[in-house]
Amino acid sequence: MLTSLYVEGRSWFHRLPVRAKLLALLVLSLALFATQSLYLLAPAFLLCGWLYFSLGLTFRQALARVGFVFFTILVLAAINLFLLPVPEVAALLLRLMALVLFAATVTATTTIGAFMDEITFLLKPFERLGLLRAADVSLALGLVLRFVPDIFARYEAIREAHRARGLPIRPLTIIGPLIILTLKDADTIAAAIDARGFRRQ
Amino acid sequence: MNTRDLVLIALFAAIVVVLGLIPPITLGFIPVPITAQSMGVMLAGCIIGAKRGALAFLLFVLLVAIGLPVLSGGRGGLAVLAGPSGGFILGWAVAAFVTGLVAERFVHEGQREIRQFVGFFLASVVGGIVVLYAIGVPWLSAVSGTPLLTAATGSLVFIPGDLLKAAIATLAARAVYAGYPLLPARA
Repeated sequence: MLTSLYVEGRSWFHRLPVRAKLLALLVLSLALFATQSLYLLAPAFLLCGWLYFSLGLTFRQALARVGFVFFTILVLAAINLFLLPVPEVAALLLRLMALVLFAATVTATTTIGAFMDEITFLLKPFERLGLLRAADVSLALGLVLRFVPDIFARYEAIREAHRARGLPIRPLTIIGPLIILTLKDADTIAAAIDARGFRRQ
Repeated sequence: MNTRDLVLIALFAAIVVVLGLIPPITLGFIPVPITAQSMGVMLAGCIIGAKRGALAFLLFVLLVAIGLPVLSGGRGGLAVLAGPSGGFILGWAVAAFVTGLVAERFVHEGQREIRQFVGFFLASVVGGIVVLYAIGVPWLSAVSGTPLLTAATGSLVFIPGDLLKAAIATLAARAVYAGYPLLPARA
């Protein structure tokens, strides 16, 4: 049900360590926002676009992933045309699209596992301060992935129950029971986790 | 944090993922379709409280960031966060926290039903609309270059839908509060 947006591949970008990719994303966003020059932004946009579209996704798949964000960007650019000078609108448009394409590239070339390792590393300072435990974050993430299909099945059962009674399917009458039924499991799940000693408490 | 709180946070994040899979409702009198997922912020604050609600949304944003298509319509990944509406997504945790604070302050057991409704509605509006827009709109303006005033005026289109969401979240939160109260047992 939850398939990651990672795309299988062996390009040089796939092989780069996550940390390098995330740092590159950070540096790129700072650099793009620091410049107004179309001579820098246009090549950056073309480069990010080339990088993204050379990952092995079909054109349609690639576009579907960024389409919604591009739609928002284009709508805002259309509004900007009435308010700002044209070169400025072009700069804003190119900058945002370049950034979004690069971000989509990082997402498509990095596995969930690699991201999790990096998050565990980034959480270390907080762990040292005693604010949280990196293991808890991984555990919570695992729980979400584990329970989404269950909760979705429950949603469908409640929907079927509505149908069987001839009731209209409204979010209000579904959300309440869905949340109560789901959260009531918390005690059992917590007991199961503690019984296995996952959190060493 | 005890294990039960951790599980509640994870389960709520999972509920928000499922809310994104429910088809959006279109209403004649409101220009934008209503996605059940966008009610998640209000529900999280009102049902599991400030701290757990905010953590549930931090977890959810983490899912988005590591490339899981958990946003409604199967969207996800760093591209969404880098786009113009990234501020709204990153603002969810803060919005859930404020919703929770207001709900914890104003809703108590043994109150008259109507006061609980008012408390939850107030919490949903303050956290889920005021705080969320206070973060999302300036962010959008900064990223897209659209002047702040234009961005703010444009956002008014979404306010009627948001008020309706707050009303639905209020009724749902109160139903959960009556059936299985979690708000009083604060993390």
